[in-house]
Amino acid sequence: MAGIYIHVPFCKQKCTYCDFASYPRELGKAESYFACLYREIMGRAKQYPDKIIDTIYIGGGTPSVVDANLIAGAIRQVKKCFTVRKDAEITIELNPGTVDKEKIKIYKQVGINRFSIGLQTGYDAQLKKLNRIHTAKDFLECCNLLKGENISADILMGLHDQTLDQVKKSVDLAIAGGVSHLSVYALTPEVGTPIYTDYLNGELLSDDEVADIYDGIRAYLKEKGFSRYEVSNFAKDGFYSKHNMNYWKRGEYIGVGVSASSFADGRRFTNTFSIDEYMNAIIYNKSPEISSDIIEGEDAKFEHIMLALRTAAGLNIKEFNEKYSANFDEDYKDVLQKKMRYLDRNGDILTIKDEYLYVQNDIILAFMN
Amino acid sequence: MAVKKENVRNFCIVAHIDHGKSTLADRLMEKTGQVSERDMEEQLLDSMDLERERGITIKLTPVRMFYKAKNGEEYIFNLIDTPGHVDFTYEVSRSLKACEGAILIVDATQGVQAQTLANAYLAIDNDLEIMPVINKIDLASARPDEVATEVEEILGIEAQSAPRISAKTGLNIEEVLEQVIEKIPAPKGDENAPLKALIFDSYYDNFKGVICFVRIMDGEVKIGTKIKTFMSDKQFDVTEVGVFSPKMQPKDSLSAGEVGYIAASIKSIEDTAVGDTITGVENPATEPLPGYKKALPMVFSGVFPLDGSKFNDLKDALLKLKLNDAALSIEPDNSAALGFGFRCGFLGLLHMDVIQERIEREFDLEIITTAPSVSYKVYKTDGTQMVIENPTHLPPVTEIDYMEEPIINASILTPPDYVGPIMELCQYKRGVYKDMVYLDKSRVELKYTLPLNEIIYDFFDSLKSRTKGYASFDYEVSGYQRSDLVKMDMLLNGDICDALSIIVHKDKAYERGRQIAEKLKEVIPRQMFEIPIQAAVGGKIIARETVKAFRKDVLAKCYGGDVTRKKKLLEKQKEGKKKMRSIGTVEIPSEAFISILKTDNDR
Repeated sequence: MAGIYIHVPFCKQKCTYCDFASYPRELGKAESYFACLYREIMGRAKQYPDKIIDTIYIGGGTPSVVDANLIAGAIRQVKKCFTVRKDAEITIELNPGTVDKEKIKIYKQVGINRFSIGLQTGYDAQLKKLNRIHTAKDFLECCNLLKGENISADILMGLHDQTLDQVKKSVDLAIAGGVSHLSVYALTPEVGTPIYTDYLNGELLSDDEVADIYDGIRAYLKEKGFSRYEVSNFAKDGFYSKHNMNYWKRGEYIGVGVSASSFADGRRFTNTFSIDEYMNAIIYNKSPEISSDIIEGEDAKFEHIMLALRTAAGLNIKEFNEKYSANFDEDYKDVLQKKMRYLDRNGDILTIKDEYLYVQNDIILAFMN
Repeated sequence: MAVKKENVRNFCIVAHIDHGKSTLADRLMEKTGQVSERDMEEQLLDSMDLERERGITIKLTPVRMFYKAKNGEEYIFNLIDTPGHVDFTYEVSRSLKACEGAILIVDATQGVQAQTLANAYLAIDNDLEIMPVINKIDLASARPDEVATEVEEILGIEAQSAPRISAKTGLNIEEVLEQVIEKIPAPKGDENAPLKALIFDSYYDNFKGVICFVRIMDGEVKIGTKIKTFMSDKQFDVTEVGVFSPKMQPKDSLSAGEVGYIAASIKSIEDTAVGDTITGVENPATEPLPGYKKALPMVFSGVFPLDGSKFNDLKDALLKLKLNDAALSIEPDNSAALGFGFRCGFLGLLHMDVIQERIEREFDLEIITTAPSVSYKVYKTDGTQMVIENPTHLPPVTEIDYMEEPIINASILTPPDYVGPIMELCQYKRGVYKDMVYLDKSRVELKYTLPLNEIIYDFFDSLKSRTKGYASFDYEVSGYQRSDLVKMDMLLNGDICDALSIIVHKDKAYERGRQIAEKLKEVIPRQMFEIPIQAAVGGKIIARETVKAFRKDVLAKCYGGDVTRKKKLLEKQKEGKKKMRSIGTVEIPSEAFISILKTDNDR
């Protein structure tokens, strides 16, 4: 049980809120970059030969901006070097306006069976302000090309002067496009992004306003048959993202490419954020990693709790005790006593009460040593 | 170098804050060749970082200078620098005892100010010869002749001959040196009489033990002399004597008239109290020197380590600071909210500030301080009396017959334009008008009696803002007065937070309660639940505010690459939480305890 993450650090243009490793001007390096990716995949497979892969996720950037055959090559390389289960969930992120029939055909042929579309908002004016490359109409056209497929869409909350009604309309648009999964994120203004200036100027919604929208949209999505299975993720039954669930179960994953992070054999490591540095490392058989930490003891336990409590499935105490030879109820007696009013306990399952999922930091912090 | 006693001059410099005391001291040292201009760090005597940053002198520092006068004779000058702030009046009086004269600096633009008056009177009380100097004549707005007349009229000291100088540019410094010889008397005292040395300051040196700063009044002391003090029975062998130049410089002996230091492997500062007299074990003096009044702390505040496990470090820090700060008092204290700490007594607000900053800087300790209080006298119904320095120790209302609070005599010097706003302020602070004197056409002295507990909030700031900084203020505690006082508690989510309780005049409780509640609302971060903030007097709620529960406190995204980053963010959040204190279920930031001080602003 492990996932593979493949990072594609290219896009057409930077969105104002984006702080991912994505470099619109470097698109010309795509072919050499993928050559390096194939090589890293091979190397990681040798490093971690026993991992059984049941999810692959191609993220970015905008993976759909590069030649579909490069993407297909990467998937084939994973399948060749690792043991990949037949029913593996294989997701690609894409943006409206960057795909056509031909590309999708290639994606499907190589086994991609889940498509995550960046919508962000159904309002063209807001899309433009975010420096997105598409319109609402482009989104529907993209969905049309993917008819019948397992589609997910991303939606942002907290944009300039955004209202609950607008977010609902954006959700309506996604549903009209046939999505069975939605990620609804509160915009997080990161230092160094253009939108951070707007945040400093107080132009974005306040936390309270975002919380209002979140509560409204959660209720709205419930009506529409989407249940919240993680803080920011909603899906129809059977359409949870397996790849992402693996992160929250503290499962193993191997990330390849620029800025990709991995967690394998108790070690968390991350590759360089620079395309050139990455390619140099791969070509000269050096490690592209810029950080590496063995996570053990209390750290490991805390990670597990932090991640599990994000989900509706919650923390399975029995599994936790077995995995870390712990006695959860005894070890966290004080914390549980102090924070129990925010928690639900059902047999071995501990969850954060619905109404506190969006203010969970304080609860999680209590579990930190 | 042997210089006869007739050629020694012991003096200090007194002035209103910012009138140029330290600058003149530096200039005198430079002129007498103690330091070259090049080597000179600005304001040599203010050696603590804090002193230099704030432009104030906190600790007194003696320095010895040689001067070859125009008459061809060699002189030794012992300059004892003094603190300039009203809080440190006590330290000023200590240095005055060691001198025969005082240079009184008056700013040529500002003229006589409150502390010019206070310090001049202090010098006169100590029977010192006062030598006025008019400084800052390089400024365009200088009016030296007018100021000289002012000094004569207000202080009754001859000032026409006062040197007109600029300590900044070095202008006419020579004249100051010449006048010191001419106007300030040489020390009296008898080298052959039994030893009498006045301890005017001391500090603890890790290698030499307590170093006593002394003025030898009679007799002589040298290495090997067996000494004792009048207040303690212990005897010590002198291991080193010396002078300040301005660094400590060992010498063979110190004799009558000289200023210097004595080290005698003294382990405890308690054995050599400042103000005590050192004498010889053989041939002892029969009577101690008059010494001085012990400085009484007037302002009290709780000092707690931010990190509860650092209690012992805080204790060490306070004890070390107390070594050379006789005015600081420390008592163990404990608070339900803040844990174990100390109740410290200070001379005033600046003194409190300085001590707190020194703890943080010199000992690298983070501390939480509570709102300052004064000491109240409580007369109980059973006929007993107690003194309360900590509001939490106040007995139940039913056991209190009546209470008294300390009262000050305040003197405020101001241009006439601001008399109205100042009277308004004093009225608001429960002041009682005493007198108003026009010192000259541009200066009025207002006299009020005021409760000290009104001064310790923000009186200085309010005075400054109401008078654009033109007014100066000085006070002395005059006694206690019966007053209608109540204890006001602050409740957070229903729990009393002991560290936030204050004693306040009954008529002001509503207003203060509302202000503190508002302030706490600003400083207490939103938490998982709604937090009612209430002010209560005797179980009755008199003000209420609410901190709303927070709605969003979550890491929106947490995927593969985010785990480490998010964990770090949470760790940071956790660090922040460590600086919070729990009152029942409520977490409050450490600065909340002192922030309630800052509520009294002009509205």
